[in-house]
Amino acid sequence: MDKKIKFNTKNLDLFYGDFQALKSINMEIGEKEVTAFIGPSGCGKSTFLRCLNRMNDLIDGVTIKGEILFDEKDINGDIDVINLRTRVGMVFQKPNPFPMSIYENIAYGPKCQGMKDKTQLDTLVKESLVKAALWEEVKDRLNKSALGLSGGQQQRLCIARTIAMNPEVILMDEPTSALDPIATAKIEDLMSSLKKDFTIIIVTHSMQQAGRISDKTAFFLMGEVIEFNETPIIFTNPNDKRTEDYITGRFG
Amino acid sequence: MEAIKRKKRKEKIVEIIFLICASVAVLSVLAITFFVFYNGLAPFVTNSYPLWNFLSGVEWRPDSNLYGIFYMIVGSVFATFGAILIGVPIAILTAVFISEMASSRIGKAIRFAVELLAGIPSVLYGIFGLGIIVPYVLKISPFAQGESLLATIFVLAIMILPTVVSIAETSIAAVPKEYREGSYALGASKVQTIFRVVLPAGRSGIMTGVILGIGRAIGETMAVMLVCGNPIAGIPTSIFSQIRPLTTNIALEMGYASGVHQQLLYSTGVILFIFIMIINFTVNKLVKQKVGS
Amino acid sequence: MSRKIKDNIVKSIIYLATAITLSVLLFILGFIFVKGIGLVNWDFLTRDYNEKVFYAFTQSEEIPMSIDTDTLSKNTPYDDRYETLTEGPIYIENIGAAVSKISYKNYTSEKEQFVISYIEKGSPLLNAKDSTGATINIKTDFILESINGESFENLTLDEVVSIISSQSGDLKIKVVQPGGGIKSNIITTLYMVLISLLVALPIGIFGAIYLTEYAKPGRIVNIIRFAAETLAGIPSIVFGLFGMAFFVVALNLQISLISGSLTVAIILLPVIIRSTEEALKTVPMAFREGSLALGATKLQTIFKVVLPCAVPGIATAVLLSIGRVVGESAALLLTAGTVSQIPGTLFSPGSTLTVQAYYIAKEEGNIELACAIGIVIIVIVIVLNILSRITSDKLDVFNKK
Repeated sequence: MDKKIKFNTKNLDLFYGDFQALKSINMEIGEKEVTAFIGPSGCGKSTFLRCLNRMNDLIDGVTIKGEILFDEKDINGDIDVINLRTRVGMVFQKPNPFPMSIYENIAYGPKCQGMKDKTQLDTLVKESLVKAALWEEVKDRLNKSALGLSGGQQQRLCIARTIAMNPEVILMDEPTSALDPIATAKIEDLMSSLKKDFTIIIVTHSMQQAGRISDKTAFFLMGEVIEFNETPIIFTNPNDKRTEDYITGRFG
Repeated sequence: MEAIKRKKRKEKIVEIIFLICASVAVLSVLAITFFVFYNGLAPFVTNSYPLWNFLSGVEWRPDSNLYGIFYMIVGSVFATFGAILIGVPIAILTAVFISEMASSRIGKAIRFAVELLAGIPSVLYGIFGLGIIVPYVLKISPFAQGESLLATIFVLAIMILPTVVSIAETSIAAVPKEYREGSYALGASKVQTIFRVVLPAGRSGIMTGVILGIGRAIGETMAVMLVCGNPIAGIPTSIFSQIRPLTTNIALEMGYASGVHQQLLYSTGVILFIFIMIINFTVNKLVKQKVGS
Repeated sequence: MSRKIKDNIVKSIIYLATAITLSVLLFILGFIFVKGIGLVNWDFLTRDYNEKVFYAFTQSEEIPMSIDTDTLSKNTPYDDRYETLTEGPIYIENIGAAVSKISYKNYTSEKEQFVISYIEKGSPLLNAKDSTGATINIKTDFILESINGESFENLTLDEVVSIISSQSGDLKIKVVQPGGGIKSNIITTLYMVLISLLVALPIGIFGAIYLTEYAKPGRIVNIIRFAAETLAGIPSIVFGLFGMAFFVVALNLQISLISGSLTVAIILLPVIIRSTEEALKTVPMAFREGSLALGATKLQTIFKVVLPCAVPGIATAVLLSIGRVVGESAALLLTAGTVSQIPGTLFSPGSTLTVQAYYIAKEEGNIELACAIGIVIIVIVIVLNILSRITSDKLDVFNKK
């Protein structure tokens, strides 16, 4: 059971201006596992997720204290953010394909990295779409606009787009919250098949989802991690009273 | 009952007054179109001057009854095209700087500067052109005067900056933040994000700005009048040639023209009007398209 | 790494473009200020553009000077750029005034002039009348050209002083009120702003009310909006053509203040309609509903609730409109003319500041004077910009609350 630690945060504090959004987070996230973050709205779970590939850089007035070690290197230290983001991909709450063709959406990341070879790109696009279980649905209209896809397809396209970068970690920020149950089921299936190749960290507001797909679950409340453990333990035998209250639906 | 009725009638009357006021804009457009076309088409309808000679002529000599505006159309088009070629890239990049790269305070300051630039009356641009650009062009020109196509292009390029900057900036700012996040999350750099995602996504708005810029350039009169030279004949053959755009032809001679001469100045206005209408329709189409998508 | 280099190159190009935009602005402002600032002074703002010649009739009267010569020589009614003192001043008792000789130089000519540099209390010049019996307000800086038929041309100051001193009884003095100022253009601009706003503001505001409060989305609204957009896109020279054909010729209003103002009023319409509409749209629906629920009629709701909330927006519209009128030139050139005078009636011509700046640059080739007018225009534009920033911030504050 000695899995490699992918992310290790030490005493992580995060402030929006004067407001402290994260309080002393210590967490070890293992490689090739699915880790789920749950908790009520505004508890800091998304904020924490966005720390892991430094998407919070885009927001003004954010200050971070403490360490986030990615493969034992501090990502707020002397590293290349762009390189970090190619290794730690992200899928967002609302599907956000670019207003260009399906093909161009997938090829975007690799092209930004300087990949120019057409056949190489073609293969990569196909592989990524196959892995994201979207190939069959879109293979005849790769040059059509991605905005013509349904919501669920768009989200799988965004996952395919992320896979095309061949990242080590995929961060997912409530990836199914904007989707209907059928599309959600497809994405959940996809996640369990991706788990063997990628480390997946997912923020979800659905406890059932966390229960179905994750290996480990962290419960966030008011910027703190209340409990972090194997998913079955969190859901059946939590240590903390507050976790139990949340799981059983007494608040949130 | 009577009081309520009176109240209702009053409300109705006021509503009609409001409607009439709103219709003034429509009436104005109709009246402008009518008067300009009525006067401008008269010489061709009454056969006092042949349309073809008017459209294809390259000489404008009222004293010898020669009224050709082809060389003016060419001048207008060249000047506008040149101004777009220089002004648009600068304007779009400035808009990019304001909305994507500057801190909010610096962005605000530059926006204020751009608004100021938009507020400077065109005559002052012309005086600036006459005082600075024309003498400078004279230095490098093979001809004996600095008033030229080149000077006109420079003045117009400056004048379209504020129009294009502010519209491009608005449409860049309207590009959803999700696109940017998506791009960054895929490991794209800022510059890549701007040029591969943000600008393409804001394309139709930016195009609207460019076309409005074209409209401003082709319709500009007073600034151009001071720097273009206004020759009485000749298609511009070099960047240092003098030109006589459609607009200045009208402004220069309207004060004293009469008879066919005056009507043909209106005809010049008709040609200008047609250019502007095409531009307006294009903008309208683009804006609608944007709403549609 | 090569991506970093590429990115940095692109970034520098973006910086460069922004720098060009900013420096263009600074360069234009700088040019106009540097060229024109030497000419901007009180005289410039308060004098008419054209010189005025009067024959002043008065009685000579011995008035001793009440100040000492030091104070007298400090009275300098001339600038040092175009007018330089060559002789004087010398006080002349029988007209109760001091005269200096100056040399006046402009682009085209250079001439010697005798200027009144001081007028004593009780001086006969102060109650001088012209041939019709109207009082002429002779002031220091007026030029003296002859007295009782004796011309001062090519004389020295001493000769002029002795000619004047030898006169007694009835005096007939040829005086010239100096020109070169822009008072008439400032006043014409003010008239133009006032009249065009008076016409366009109610029409524009009522039109905007119709569009936002009454009209149901549909063909009529589309047509009106399209018309307003079209108006906004028409170049001002075409408005000028229309104004000329309609107001000047068809309505026979002549090239005049009223023709110009009405033409400009049409130019202002889309500006006013658009900003008022935007302001009205920001007024929350709940305000209207609240008012209607209290039994107010639609009209009362509009005038007592909606319009007051939109006041900052309307103020912005007014400021933008003033800017448009001040900046307008092509349309006014064809409808209000280039005569530099204060329009006596609505039907007399007059040139605004901007038209005057054009006229001076184009017809007289005097860029410095044009720039001096430019400074006045730019100051107005900057003030308007700052004010409209303040009013639109007010609108934002209202929205946040």
